[in-house]
Amino acid sequence: MLRYVLRRIAYAVPILVGVSLLTFFLFYAVYTPEQMARKNLSTKNPTPAQIEEWVKEHGYDKSRSEQFSKHMKELLLLRFGKSDATKQDIWERIRAGVGPSSYIASLIFVCSIITSISLALVAAYFRGTYLDLWITFLCVLMMSIVYMVYIIAGQYVFGKILKLSPLGGWRGGLDAARFVILPMIIGVIYGLGSTVRLYRTFMLDEMNQDYVRTARAKGIGERGVLLRHVLKNAAIPILTSSVAVIPSLLLGSLLLEQFFGIPGLGSLTVDAINSQDFAVVRAMVFLGTVLYIVGLILTDISYALVDPRVRLE
Amino acid sequence: MDAAPLCIRRGAAGDGDRRAERVRQQPLRARRNGAPVLYFAQGDDPKTLDPSVTYTVSEAAITDLIYPSYFQYHYLKRDPYVLELALGAVEPKREPYCYTATEKGKAVQKTGESWTFRIKPGLRFQDDPCFPGGKGREITAADFLYSFRRLADPSVHCPILSFVEDKIIGMKEYVAANTEKIKKKQKVDLRSGVEGLQLDPKDPLAFRVLLNQPYPQLRYLMAMHFTTPQLARHPVGSGAYMMEEYKSKQRIVLTANPNRREEFYPTEGEPGDRQAGLLRDAGKRLPLAEKVVFNIIREGVTGWNLFLQGYQDAWSVTPENYQQVMSRAGQLSPEMQKRGVQLSQEVSANIYYFAFNMKDSVVGGLSEKNKKLRQAISLAIDAQAFIDLFSQGNGQPAEFLIPPGIYGYDPNYRNPYRRYDPKLTRAKELLAEAGYPGGIEKKTGERLTLFFDNTATTAAGRQLVGLVTKQIQALGLRLESRSARSNVFQDRVDKGQFQFIRYGWFADYPDPENFVFLLYGPNKRPGPNASGYDNPRYNRLFEQMRALEDGPKRLEVIRQMRDIAAEDAPWVFLQHDVDLALTYDWLNNVKPHPVANDTTKYRGVDGERRAQLQRAWNQPNFWPLLGALALLLAGSVPAAAVVRARGQRRARRAAPVAASANASTPPSKGEGR
Amino acid sequence: MWAWLGAVLQNDWAQNGIAVLVVVALLWAIVRAGREPLWAEAYRRLRRNRVAMISLAVVSLYGIIAVADSIGWRDDKNAPRKTIIDRVFERPQERYYSYPLAATTFGEPKPRPLLAPGKHLLGTDSVGDDIFYRTLKGCRTALIIGGFTSLLVTPLALLFGLRAGDFGKRVVDVIPSVSPVVDYVIEFVYTLQASSPEILLLNALLLVLGPGLLNLCLALGITSWVGLCRLTRGETLKHRDREYVRAARALGASHSRILLRHILPNLMPVVIISVTLSFSGLVLSEAILSYLGIGVEPGVGSWGNMIDSARLELAREPIIWWNLASASTALFILVLAFNIFGDALRDAIDPRLRSS
Repeated sequence: MLRYVLRRIAYAVPILVGVSLLTFFLFYAVYTPEQMARKNLSTKNPTPAQIEEWVKEHGYDKSRSEQFSKHMKELLLLRFGKSDATKQDIWERIRAGVGPSSYIASLIFVCSIITSISLALVAAYFRGTYLDLWITFLCVLMMSIVYMVYIIAGQYVFGKILKLSPLGGWRGGLDAARFVILPMIIGVIYGLGSTVRLYRTFMLDEMNQDYVRTARAKGIGERGVLLRHVLKNAAIPILTSSVAVIPSLLLGSLLLEQFFGIPGLGSLTVDAINSQDFAVVRAMVFLGTVLYIVGLILTDISYALVDPRVRLE
Repeated sequence: MDAAPLCIRRGAAGDGDRRAERVRQQPLRARRNGAPVLYFAQGDDPKTLDPSVTYTVSEAAITDLIYPSYFQYHYLKRDPYVLELALGAVEPKREPYCYTATEKGKAVQKTGESWTFRIKPGLRFQDDPCFPGGKGREITAADFLYSFRRLADPSVHCPILSFVEDKIIGMKEYVAANTEKIKKKQKVDLRSGVEGLQLDPKDPLAFRVLLNQPYPQLRYLMAMHFTTPQLARHPVGSGAYMMEEYKSKQRIVLTANPNRREEFYPTEGEPGDRQAGLLRDAGKRLPLAEKVVFNIIREGVTGWNLFLQGYQDAWSVTPENYQQVMSRAGQLSPEMQKRGVQLSQEVSANIYYFAFNMKDSVVGGLSEKNKKLRQAISLAIDAQAFIDLFSQGNGQPAEFLIPPGIYGYDPNYRNPYRRYDPKLTRAKELLAEAGYPGGIEKKTGERLTLFFDNTATTAAGRQLVGLVTKQIQALGLRLESRSARSNVFQDRVDKGQFQFIRYGWFADYPDPENFVFLLYGPNKRPGPNASGYDNPRYNRLFEQMRALEDGPKRLEVIRQMRDIAAEDAPWVFLQHDVDLALTYDWLNNVKPHPVANDTTKYRGVDGERRAQLQRAWNQPNFWPLLGALALLLAGSVPAAAVVRARGQRRARRAAPVAASANASTPPSKGEGR
Repeated sequence: MWAWLGAVLQNDWAQNGIAVLVVVALLWAIVRAGREPLWAEAYRRLRRNRVAMISLAVVSLYGIIAVADSIGWRDDKNAPRKTIIDRVFERPQERYYSYPLAATTFGEPKPRPLLAPGKHLLGTDSVGDDIFYRTLKGCRTALIIGGFTSLLVTPLALLFGLRAGDFGKRVVDVIPSVSPVVDYVIEFVYTLQASSPEILLLNALLLVLGPGLLNLCLALGITSWVGLCRLTRGETLKHRDREYVRAARALGASHSRILLRHILPNLMPVVIISVTLSFSGLVLSEAILSYLGIGVEPGVGSWGNMIDSARLELAREPIIWWNLASASTALFILVLAFNIFGDALRDAIDPRLRSS
């Protein structure tokens, strides 16, 4: 196991470099340093001298290879430097935002995994009955509605009409709970449709396996089959499909944070891309990659834990 | 200030008293009740609060409270705008000034202007650990000159450098020297330099600015935050407020500065101000509120709903809330009146326009053919439709550059090429005269296609493109929209690679020069003249008008410029905004100012009333929740029935297969492998 | 070469030809597949499922609308090209919003009479376009984005996913892979791609490719194949040690035969559901792209743009719901029909559900 993890970590290095290289080239394919300068200088038309000055100041005038090796060195040492747009220290910004973002995102993650699995189990238990059909119908309905509608409707009903929860805002510490509940519920509901559909498929797929028949033949009840056998075996695809969200657990959700005024990291990458703040983009991409790879390793380890047939060597 | 392409709702955030007076997040109910705190909003984190750099109204709403200048605008007087002394002790003295300039290698005697300023004694910076002992030190004339020199530091990127670079003696050379130093990686010394910025050796509070030409607009520059005493990037000033807390994406809190100068609410205003209750606080020391909280709220819906709950003191009228806020007659709706909301209207000092690229072979140039095409298009664009659609009818169609409230605006003037007629008779005639009868080019027999560059990536942007397309198509032309990201768009505009764009301009200061210079030939890119219009007659008149004092002579020159610009039609003048702002009646002394950004310090608040109403409006209601729960329980009864039925069946016959009930349960035999 | 292709695609008759070609190809594929025993059996079962047939009819209806919207001609040289849908359903453009079947505009300070009162079945939008007409126009975009992208992505993702899952096996298994280097490259590429930020990638791709519907599909395809690929990999990992695979191996089946003839059919149910879901996801993602400002151009009809304008319309008081509701309903019906049909297809194709 340890050897496997070490190998995966070693394997991660070329991927990190590759992703950074990709970002680097994509970014330069899209934006020239002059455009970046123009965007990040104050809004009035900058003079060519000012642009040149900005480009030089931020080191974008050096050769690409020189820039890249410098970037890579800094990134691997986790020295992210300062934002091109706001001159703010990037680590400081991340440190300030990671709390609120991960607070809300991990709550959503845990709650939605629990609800989706339970609902999928219900759907699998009642498969073929009217209840299953209704669940399908509802799931598709929920999938067809845009995130914004949930948010606006949630704010309208719970914040504006029932006044059960604040419409937005944030406080640190224990007070945060008041501000978290509504966005959390909305986040869970939004993801429910497609995950329940997917998990139900995973489970039905397992229910057609031979071991389930054997279990039934041994006289185990339907509930026992579902909870003891099917759930365990469906865990692999469920795990696989939930790794993808691990980076977003720390990096937050754009729309929720935007509408509820949560001071997280959700908009950081998008803002940085829009304002052509390359320093932030490369830092966030790097972090995202690291988190993703960590997620991959964790999934593989958990494969080995839930499925004795999988051995990590 | 700030050319904003395609910004329909006035940029992202707006400014201190009109737009950005927006939101506050929900406070903890029990605490802070009744405290004299103002709650406004910002649309996002300010990009910078450096007074030498910031150039947007929303950032100025914060910086101008921290950094006062030599002058400030009188809060209540608008017609005309009155500059009163802020940090300054005396009106600057203007005298002719003789200097020696080198032209083509020869020394030439020339006459410019000398301005002598003196600031008030005893002004101090706010207390801050950066000073010895933590006590704010005294402000001297040298601090002003430091700010002037800082404009010329190329690494600062000051947006208004071009206003003064060619006017202050020695400024250009200083900028060049600094650029050279930065290239060599040397430090730029801002403590000395620039011939035209002089300290008085006898008086530490006086300084002189020497100009190579008369430049009356310098008075207005001295009211902007670019010339304030400052400590570079560290937000320490001498204003009514100082920064207490800044949490990214969350809030900015300003608190009254104990070291602020003695300053009082004005005791006189315009006729009607006393009746409107604007003089109730006359003579009180400023600022009236102890704290200002700018909460960062990025989504309009959230902000509007928070306003309705009373958790923010002000909001603006938007297309979204218009129907709820206004009645048919253009008055505040009864619903809003009942809540104690008040409406204030102010014509904004700005203009939106469509600009033609004057270098373009089809629409540009001063040739008769292309001029007629421009005139035809100008006649085909219905400004009222834009105002109705994007400003709910609140706006004024523009006839010329100068907006209402600025000297030189003529309410009776009607631009002959801005008279929209739904039948487009005259426009079609002009189009035919230009060689495109019915929109078809005579030579090729093809329909003329124009390209409209824009940044329409939002829903509102798409609406705008839709409307422009509709109006141009009515003329018989085809319009193709080219949408791009704003920086690509800017790039195209700067390089002159466009045909037709929509642009806007907001006043830096209330002088017509700040508007008509948008068509001055030498101001073309990288200057503010985006269309690249360059008519020698217009240019000469502009140079004449710039140095003139307000009076009949100046008006006459402006009139001549207006007729030239109307005839050449380099722009389609679109509209001047009318800003509608909503405030609750617990907020006192609300009178929006189109130019000044420091008006928050005049605002008072009745915190008791606010706290009371907030409590009354926001009683939670749990009953529907219980109802929903009951419904859910009722819904699960049939499910329970299924479970029971299954259990019974299992009990009856201990067989594992129940294929009749469950269609998708695997059959027990006949599998395919 | 790209510009040349674009010019060809701009041609009226090329556009009509492509539409016809796509329909013919689709029909041919269905008929052709019907001759294969696996699919012939599935068809037989599907025909017996009434709900599935209704869903199929609904999906076909969308398809017919999309095709009708792809075939068009000009009345004269300077007239714009109009499709069949344009000719039948276009309504005069009004000034502003209007309520379904209303006679005046809505939400203006002073409501004005409409040019076609009572003729706008679902009302009009902010520039006065008929919503029913816009909704119909959205079908084509949605089907192209969902269908074309899925068509691009699925084979690629399946192939790579099978390969990658298989590669994971090599540690356990002794059968050497054909070319281990290729496998490493595949794994590398997909981890690389999965961990780069999607928005940056989309932004960059669309900027390099230029705006346009097909480019959007291509960009979406490039960014979305990883999900299916991962899923296939996981499933392959799971199946590789199942008894039937061992049995096949013992019988001496070749490596690729095991992958394609044994494992792949067993993955089909999951793949079908996943494709159904990703089709829905792609259609929905158009709305998100519009929100980010890199969606379909303003002129092209699209549910995404309609839904995106809801951001402003839902914030209004009173709410303007018909624009969002029409687009969402159209989307919902398509997605629902597609899902039900996908479910039925899955059931029909699952070899374990087959009775002899």
